[in-house]
Amino acid sequence: MTVDTLRARPLRNAARYWRPFTAFGTVLLLWLASVRFGWVDPHFVPSPAAVAARARTEFTTGTLAFDISESLRRNITGFAIGASAGLLLGLWLGFSSTAERIVGPSLLAFRQIALFAWVPLLSAWFGGADAGKIAFIAVAGFQPVVINTWQGVKGLPSAYRELADVLIFSRIDYVRFVALPGTLPAIFTGLHAGLIYAWLATLGSELFLNVTPGIGGRLNEGSQLFEMDLLFLGIIVLAVIGLLYNSSAVWMETRLLRRRTR
Amino acid sequence: MNEIYPSRNFQVDVAPTLEIRHLDKSFTVVGRELKVLAGVDLSVKSGEFVTIVGASGCGKSTLLRLILGLDLDYSGDILVDGAPVRRPGLDRSIVFQDHRLLPWLTVEGNVAAALRRSPLSRSAKQEAVREQIELVGLTQFTKAYPAQLSGGMAQRVAIARALVNRPRFLLLDEPLGALDALTRLRLQDELKRIVQHEETTALLVTHDVDEAVHLGHRIVVMQPHPGRIARIISIPEQARQDRSSREFIRLRDEVLGLLGVGTAVLQTPKQARLVEPSR
Amino acid sequence: MTLTASAPRPVEQRMTNLLPVLANVACTISLPLVLLLAWGLSSRFGWLPEQILPAPEVVWATIAELWRDGSLIEHTLVSLRRVAIGFSIGALSGLLAGAALGLLPVVRSFVWPVFTAVAQVNTLAWLPLLVLFVGIDEELKYVCIAWSTAVPVTLATTRSIADVSPNLVELGRVFDFTPMQRVSVIVVPAALPSLFTGVREGLAAAWQSLVIVELFASFDGLGYLITWGRQLFQLELVITAMLVIAAIGLSLNAVLEYLEHFVQPWKTEARHDR
Repeated sequence: MTVDTLRARPLRNAARYWRPFTAFGTVLLLWLASVRFGWVDPHFVPSPAAVAARARTEFTTGTLAFDISESLRRNITGFAIGASAGLLLGLWLGFSSTAERIVGPSLLAFRQIALFAWVPLLSAWFGGADAGKIAFIAVAGFQPVVINTWQGVKGLPSAYRELADVLIFSRIDYVRFVALPGTLPAIFTGLHAGLIYAWLATLGSELFLNVTPGIGGRLNEGSQLFEMDLLFLGIIVLAVIGLLYNSSAVWMETRLLRRRTR
Repeated sequence: MNEIYPSRNFQVDVAPTLEIRHLDKSFTVVGRELKVLAGVDLSVKSGEFVTIVGASGCGKSTLLRLILGLDLDYSGDILVDGAPVRRPGLDRSIVFQDHRLLPWLTVEGNVAAALRRSPLSRSAKQEAVREQIELVGLTQFTKAYPAQLSGGMAQRVAIARALVNRPRFLLLDEPLGALDALTRLRLQDELKRIVQHEETTALLVTHDVDEAVHLGHRIVVMQPHPGRIARIISIPEQARQDRSSREFIRLRDEVLGLLGVGTAVLQTPKQARLVEPSR
Repeated sequence: MTLTASAPRPVEQRMTNLLPVLANVACTISLPLVLLLAWGLSSRFGWLPEQILPAPEVVWATIAELWRDGSLIEHTLVSLRRVAIGFSIGALSGLLAGAALGLLPVVRSFVWPVFTAVAQVNTLAWLPLLVLFVGIDEELKYVCIAWSTAVPVTLATTRSIADVSPNLVELGRVFDFTPMQRVSVIVVPAALPSLFTGVREGLAAAWQSLVIVELFASFDGLGYLITWGRQLFQLELVITAMLVIAAIGLSLNAVLEYLEHFVQPWKTEARHDR
């Protein structure tokens, strides 16, 4: 390796590291410029400054913080219900071939119903307030969890099964030492997807069943009252929360499974 | 001068611990019957190291699985101490070719897993685990995870796991097949030392003839389609000790000839008679 | 090599083949039958009010009626048309964008992070904004569906191209392929399986977002039927529409699985976890 390449390397590495930021920065600059130079109608696209100002008012005197906490509360409750149901059913379907043959096809058929088609039905059954929303969020979180858990258990290499036979593991031993740890990666994938779907369902249920406080309600408000700064702010908040969910899920996955791979 | 003679008995006055009589095993593949083992007879005495060589398809691995009790669909007898084998047990353990360590347990955890069904006390188990890990020379890596080990080290852990119960029988299914040649040679000597130390009866399946001759007291040569024993040969001590000795080379060549490989493949009818499967 | 072959006896063989199939069918329909029975009993004995769970006969009558006066077909066709157009636009743009991102690493390193960030915001969140920009006519539906399709298709296309085994690419260099040859002989076939999975995901996403859009901002289509039924508290309409949606979802899935065999007969089906 010559001296020149040694010198060139850190520069190139730095450039690669900074590229994503330059991308975001460019978008931000474009946004600023388009508002400043009137490329877009200011009625439709608020300036970043306006959004920031709205954020300030909302978080100090407004209800946005409360709305966010309400949405998160529903999200977590619904996800907890849906994910636990999904885990239990997925484990059962994976371990019991009779269960799989009886329940499996119906479950797969249920999955074919587009998720949001459930909203009206669930709101009729559980009411349009909290319960209906939580029910929908639970259904949304349930689906990826059950499928991934199910497939994870089925996908356990038969080599491990044979090992458990040779070591004459009891059923409980098998589940505890082989089946559950072996299925953990698939379960995490399912939980990750479930988290994303549940957040989506939270938003959707709030947009559709616009009765109680929540971020979706504020978005609706911004749309109906033509308050673009509120609307943009709402979307940014949503994106940030979604991003946080995603990165924490990824972080947990890598942390808990890191010892298993080279 | 032929110093090698076929023999079925290892020590004349000790009763066999493992006896296999008229073993037949068939698989049904796509509606047809495929005979994997035909008329296998084998007696193994306590403390013997028996190696089984043969090309692919001669049912070596199937034989081990039947001895383990993983498969009960066969005709014939498999007797351990006179009692037929009905299910897997801690008296028979196996080392697989792929080490099959559980990736989410440490080395210690993996070895301890074999003690789940053991009646020993907690402290006795811990001691046994420690002892076995020391026996295979991996004390430094007790808390390591399988992903951090090399192939040879992982296989050593598998061996420790197979021995921690002090089993009567140690079965090895091509345990060194997945390793590079140098590691293989090193581990062969390790294996010999360990088995001798534990005084376990060992059955090793391999397709490496050198390995089979170097490790075993007796070598069982199998031929495929259907799997059957061609010949069982006693290995003189000289051959076991020294890979370069004349006995070793002669025995190895004979086995290779039986398997249809190499310069020892017999040409004349007179010599061909010696290759006839002996039952 | 001699195999001991036993000639199968015709009638017995056919019987032994038929039995497991019958058992399978029995298992599959057992749960739906039980649920249907419970449903029927519930409406017979009034365990749940009519408004919450209309009787199966009512649902059946609704289906028949809507079928007869043609409105069911009409709404279904409207929805299908929207999906067809939106999906085609989205899939095409997704493939092109994905190809560009996949084949040009420089572009990818700049655009990828922004794209993945934006992609994570679901179509749903854009709806209130889009409604203001585009109105609630057909354009809104097409834009929404196209965007929801384009996102997974682009992601999958980029990944599948970028993930082509470097060993295979190296093979192309050894054979002194031109870039065009490299793409057509190595990259495209290697990327095809995951590409197809991406297209499948895109179709699933298109269907999902169709329902979303029709629930919120439409006056016809299956989603509208659901909303309308809900507002009138005539759940038989809701259930009818849901059944049709399920049926379409199932057939779309089946069609794509079938096509997958055509597209890449050398590959077994990629697993589909979401």
